[in-house]
Amino acid sequence: MEEGTPDIRPWHYDGRNACRWHPRIAIADDSFRLIGEDWESGPYLWADLIALDGTGGRSIYGLKDESGWRLGFDGPPPSDFAAHLPKPARYGGWIDGVGLTRAVAAFAVVAAAVIYIGVEAPGWIAPLVPRSWEEKLGEAMVGDFGGRFCRTPQGVKALDTLIAKMDPDADARAIEIANVPMVNAVALPGGRIILFDGLIQAAASGDEVAGVLGHELGHVRHRDTMAGLMRQLGLSVVLGGFSGDVGGYVNGLLSLSYGRDAEARADVASIATMKAANISPADTAQFFARMSKGEPEAGRMAQAMTWLSSHPLSTKRRALFAGSAVKGHRYAPALSPSEWQALRTMCKSDPTVKSGWGWQR
Amino acid sequence: MQDEQHSAFAFHGSWREYAPIAFTNLLLTIVTLGIYRFWATTRTRRYLWAQTRFIDDRLEWTGTGKELFVGFLLVLLLFGIPFIFLQFGAQALVFQGYPGVAAALGFVAFLAIFYLTGIARYRALRYRLSRTFWHGIRGGSDNQGWGFGLSYMWKTFVSYLTLGLLIPWSMMSLWNQRWRAMSFGPFAFAADGSARVTFKRFLLFYLAPILFLLMGIAVASVTGAAMGGVFVQSSLPPVLQIVVFFVIVLGVYVLLGMIALAYYSAFIREAISKLTLEDLSFTFEAGTDEWLKLIFGDIALVVGTLGIGAIFLSYRHWAFFIRHMEATGEIDLNRLTQSTTRTPGQGEGLLDAFDVGAI
Repeated sequence: MEEGTPDIRPWHYDGRNACRWHPRIAIADDSFRLIGEDWESGPYLWADLIALDGTGGRSIYGLKDESGWRLGFDGPPPSDFAAHLPKPARYGGWIDGVGLTRAVAAFAVVAAAVIYIGVEAPGWIAPLVPRSWEEKLGEAMVGDFGGRFCRTPQGVKALDTLIAKMDPDADARAIEIANVPMVNAVALPGGRIILFDGLIQAAASGDEVAGVLGHELGHVRHRDTMAGLMRQLGLSVVLGGFSGDVGGYVNGLLSLSYGRDAEARADVASIATMKAANISPADTAQFFARMSKGEPEAGRMAQAMTWLSSHPLSTKRRALFAGSAVKGHRYAPALSPSEWQALRTMCKSDPTVKSGWGWQR
Repeated sequence: MQDEQHSAFAFHGSWREYAPIAFTNLLLTIVTLGIYRFWATTRTRRYLWAQTRFIDDRLEWTGTGKELFVGFLLVLLLFGIPFIFLQFGAQALVFQGYPGVAAALGFVAFLAIFYLTGIARYRALRYRLSRTFWHGIRGGSDNQGWGFGLSYMWKTFVSYLTLGLLIPWSMMSLWNQRWRAMSFGPFAFAADGSARVTFKRFLLFYLAPILFLLMGIAVASVTGAAMGGVFVQSSLPPVLQIVVFFVIVLGVYVLLGMIALAYYSAFIREAISKLTLEDLSFTFEAGTDEWLKLIFGDIALVVGTLGIGAIFLSYRHWAFFIRHMEATGEIDLNRLTQSTTRTPGQGEGLLDAFDVGAI
């Protein structure tokens, strides 16, 4: 014992001042009293005793609701005292009750379940969110996109033609072209699809745009956006990624990725829609091929090809589109040359549209 | 080993004794997806405090895991959820074409976090003192730290405004301000650290860029590079070039770290040596070389065990801290009565949430 001479009597702090006392313990059935040289305290109920960590072989007890009250022995407590004592806490709470091994096993099962649910739940909950909520959310988030939607009479007519072919049941609430020089297309909550002008310019034909549009329509039909948003929300809760970075917000939403399964399903949906509309998927495959090579015509946009970063172009995907084109079949082009022209020039010829990313860094 | 007979502080722990605590903590923290960490912290502190002798008796940690957990939940509720809405709100505002409003909201959020970081630092100290018992007596503070949050903001801001030149001043004055608000038993701490003493060491940071320039030239002359139109050619074989390059880059980091340590060791020495409690005064005797040993030991431990050694860091730091602490003077046990400060209900939630936990 480094703290002085060994002491068989208990030591005691009353929690009122720092003096160390060495009282005698008078034991009764349900309580005990402490008797010092010229003082006496108690009775203290056995039930109010709390076993604390004793180190170096010491045994220390506290008292419920009496801050700083301590009674300690330099070794194990005497047997007549020990008979009434509680056991000290070790790992905390009920882990001490069930034992470490069982507690660890139970926690591991719960943890696995939590992770599984965390990953899968958005997929289950999203379809249950009422359409009207989702539409309100989409409206609040997108609005008129800061006046960046391009509209000319001819362009809108051409876009409507494409929509009539690709989305005959009007599953998407709004499909717009935004005056942003970015090779990107996003499906947002409330069945909103935004095609960016950069993508229209990078495409060589209406068929290529139809393929990308079909893919985003697939997300809308499967309600992937809601699930993706929930996942992003969940992630930001878990990772606690709060930042004041405005660019980060935009990029976060633009690169919403829905997981490999959802992307594959959206591709399948796109091909099915194109088939029903008698549009060839071969051009879309070519578009992918061109984009992945990063041809000079993509040029400066290469750095801003968010769609491609969230939709990696595997050979498999390209082959899927290329392979589903039936040889010898007479496909109709998605848009006539004049319609395609109107769509391509819509953003340039709209005099009122706002341009670019006002907020891009 | 320190001479325990003559030191007011002594640490009696052993890492063999601590190992079962550390490993079960790690295991439980993993299987509870991190939630157990509050209880793990508590178990670690209970052990470390109980193995720390001050004069004639051990310290005692009376904080609980539940308190820390509740503190964390409070922060999540009060700040986490509003921030998530803010984040999505900002996203919507940007899309709607109000990037200015979004940026303003972001700035407000930044200010709020800045302010709360100051409060968190203050409250962590208050919480720790209020849960530390010696001879059945605890510490604490009646000051909630709202004012300290403001001081933290403007002093930190001013110190950056002067290209960092006033950082020693802001650090020391915040340290003093924080400790002056604290008490143990009926006695208030007094803290009169002076920034002037630490300033010379801090100036080493301003010397560093010059050293970096020299190193840059060294890199260029080894690997060969164009510098301001002059192409420096190297005749070393490529493998050696790469090796030398890494040695030099590593050197930059090591040098910066060493300057930081040299400054920090001077700071802590000065701050603690001007800290008094009634008739007690404290000193902290670790020099830069000892800090270096600590940090390189940490790195070797963590790297050598592929990261698992990290569970022993809090043990190492506490042992380091206690072994170099010294106190002189007298305590009148009769006058050292129980603290009347309000005990905070929850733990270091804020500090935990903003990840600014220190020793």
